[in-house]
Amino acid sequence: MRDAIAAARRETPAVALVTTKFSPQGDFVARSAGMPDIPRVILPHPVAGTGEKAMKMVADDIVDEVLQALGAAG
Amino acid sequence: MSQRLSALSEEAALEQLHAAGCTDGLPVVIPTPARVERMVLASGLDADVSLGQLGPNLGEATVEKAAIASVMAGCLPDYFPAVVAAVRAVSDPRMDMTEVQATTHNLGPLLIVNGPAVDACGIASGFGALGPGHRANASIGRAVRLAMINIGGGRPGTSDMALLGHPGKFTFCLGEDEEASPWPPLHTSLGYDIDQSTVTVACTEGPHSVLCFPDDDPEVYAEHLLNVLAASLSGLGANNTHFARGTQVLVLNPDHAIALADVGHDRTTIAEALHERAKRSWSELSTVRARGSGINRHQRSQGEDPDLVVPALSSPDALLILVAGGTGLYSAVMPSWGAGPHGNGHLTVEVDLDQSCEIPLVMPVQ
Repeated sequence: MRDAIAAARRETPAVALVTTKFSPQGDFVARSAGMPDIPRVILPHPVAGTGEKAMKMVADDIVDEVLQALGAAG
Repeated sequence: MSQRLSALSEEAALEQLHAAGCTDGLPVVIPTPARVERMVLASGLDADVSLGQLGPNLGEATVEKAAIASVMAGCLPDYFPAVVAAVRAVSDPRMDMTEVQATTHNLGPLLIVNGPAVDACGIASGFGALGPGHRANASIGRAVRLAMINIGGGRPGTSDMALLGHPGKFTFCLGEDEEASPWPPLHTSLGYDIDQSTVTVACTEGPHSVLCFPDDDPEVYAEHLLNVLAASLSGLGANNTHFARGTQVLVLNPDHAIALADVGHDRTTIAEALHERAKRSWSELSTVRARGSGINRHQRSQGEDPDLVVPALSSPDALLILVAGGTGLYSAVMPSWGAGPHGNGHLTVEVDLDQSCEIPLVMPVQ
């Protein structure tokens, strides 16, 4: 979330990826960092440690949403 | 100036603070303006002086806000200089408090106090120093936690994402038993004079007990002790073992410290010996973790070589060694997280004991 906000502050289109369990925390960080509307895409939880195959499936599922969010951000 | 709440009684104020998520779940002392002002005076600093920003909320940790946390925690004004130093430490960007609060790992700031402040504040360093019954230890550590909650915004499940947490996240503070130690105090190894007071902060797991029986042969006793400490510092479930990063803390009980001193060890040689011994082979590590997970710099440079040996301490300096607790069979290690942008290291801040303004015995009613 902070990385996306840092990129957005440099006028680089950015989207934050956050899993369902961390979504409230992401909202908190976005508010704290002063950019509550930073574009974000919600991933299933967990992603870390689930293996390359599972991560590719997640990536396939969200790619359109990420592009859409980046378009909106740009 | 902090926001003020109104209530008809202290009981009602306490319920307001609980409902607002401003407590640690236990009753707090209500931070009335008069109590907070007494605390601020004990620092000799202006109320609006900033001690840093506390993540993840990036709240401004002013002296006044630290004083509010200290009143709530039950501190005496005499303790406040130690709290100020500790809040400076946890607000320092090098401590990565945003990430420390946000991680799913169970860690919290351990406060180690050295120098004249230990006696000046009455901080326990002997039997049960990390347990209940010691007002200074309990309230100084609790004040830092309340600052992390109310200034840093760390609340379970939304901004403090520790999966389980640990009891040291209520309070986690002790002094070094400098009298019982066979070596100069910890802070003199960290660049401070013996007459200075310091708080050294390392964010760690809770204490893990390490058992070692004496042996008639001093060399054998010391060897056994180093071996069991090394094994405990490189547990297969500990992050440090897998990531090869992060400060770990070793609390030697006075008997164990003397056993090592008797064969010529000091803090430096113990750290070097444990850095050398606290290692796991790649073949051991691969029995407990998924392939490709927890990649550390050793693995990156050398690949998944079964003969590769990975140290749990990145260097001897990644181990803080202090003497505390009662005499007996048990010492303790505190493993850590080993992650975050700065790698979960430690930081020492001087306690400024001599700046206290005269504190009126009775403050005017406000």
